[in-house]
Amino acid sequence: MEATDIELVERVRGGDDDAFRVLVERHSRPIYRSAYRITNNAADADDVVQETFLRSYRALASFDSRATFTTWLHRIAINCALDLIDSRKRRDGRIDDGEDLSLIASHDASPDRVVLGSEMQRAIAAAMAGLTGNERTAFVLRHFEGMPLEEIGQILGTRLNATKNTVFRAVKKLRQQLQPFTGSLV
Amino acid sequence: MTHLTQEEIILNYYREFDSAAHLESCAECRNELAAVARVLGSIEPPEVPEPGDDYESQVWNRLSWRLRSEKKKKPGNAWMKYAAAAAMLAVAFLGGLLLRKDAKQPAQIIAAKPAPANPAQPAGDSTQQQRDRILLVVVGDHFDESERVLVELTNLTPGSDDTDITNEQQRAEELLASNRLYRRTASDRGEENVATLLDELEPVLMQIAHAPSQVSADELRRMQKRVETKGLVFKLRVVRAGVRTETKLPNQPSI
Repeated sequence: MEATDIELVERVRGGDDDAFRVLVERHSRPIYRSAYRITNNAADADDVVQETFLRSYRALASFDSRATFTTWLHRIAINCALDLIDSRKRRDGRIDDGEDLSLIASHDASPDRVVLGSEMQRAIAAAMAGLTGNERTAFVLRHFEGMPLEEIGQILGTRLNATKNTVFRAVKKLRQQLQPFTGSLV
Repeated sequence: MTHLTQEEIILNYYREFDSAAHLESCAECRNELAAVARVLGSIEPPEVPEPGDDYESQVWNRLSWRLRSEKKKKPGNAWMKYAAAAAMLAVAFLGGLLLRKDAKQPAQIIAAKPAPANPAQPAGDSTQQQRDRILLVVVGDHFDESERVLVELTNLTPGSDDTDITNEQQRAEELLASNRLYRRTASDRGEENVATLLDELEPVLMQIAHAPSQVSADELRRMQKRVETKGLVFKLRVVRAGVRTETKLPNQPSI
């Protein structure tokens, strides 16, 4: 019978690195998918996976076994993805949050979108790229992952009202960008 | 009648706010909710390119090396302290040599840098500028060598047999050690562009350094794609060109 995550965590705490290997192999793919949805770039998602496991290894002593390991790891991954987006922003020296992600998204988005050949897909990609790191993450977690706002707030380190406002801003921007395609008024 | 706010409509869409009673009696809000639903309903999760079947093993291979480094970094590891001290001494020694060389060319240094706005500017600033230039000279060479390794790697042709990357691997390993030192120094000196590029370079060098010496065609393509996706060769050329401009003395011949 397969060991549970919590059992493996206990073994890692006892110095068993093989147990950590099992955790890495069990969770690396789902973490990669989440990271990709936020960064929209395969190489960046890969970096996020590496950094997530490195940070989780360092922080394993503080992991509360009453929590779910998957959720805990997911939080670390999202913070890593946001840090990566922030470092891009600093590197590009951009003040306007809305612009920085267009660069990040453009790495991988273009070829895929071109293959898909859909105007709507391109418009969605562009609209998503226009969101700030927090807006994009909050929207991805709420819209794609179906995560409750309260949990998103815990990940982003924001109060419920601020989390709601982040999602509202994201939706408002997306509506504005996609209005020509859907015909809805903002 | 008081209508639902935009926020309430959005929360309603996500089932985080119950306004069924109002919606039943208000056509305007129903239309608004339908408009929001049209937009949000059209946004589907992006297709995630699935990594290869051996992705989990690859993640572990790269990570296990970092975890070993992590353990070595723990306080009390004398070897690492000595290595770091030796590296810092080497940089200081090289810096000293270059400073002495620069000291013999005062006119050139003055000509190379714009005149300070304040004539009473302390001499320490000039020394700082020289140190920054030394850092840039050393890092410029590091970028040169890194670019060569990456170009050689991307020029390899994946074949039916495994490809031997021992040479690239050894050089990447050597570069990796200095990369960390330069990154920290560049960051401390406020050379953000240089520090960021070194930061991006590090995981790629690490991947090359800790891949098997014989790599499969798939693994090689993946490594090449990583280099290309990040546009590292181009970035190295751009930053290195900037570094050369900043470090070039006025009467030095262009290379």
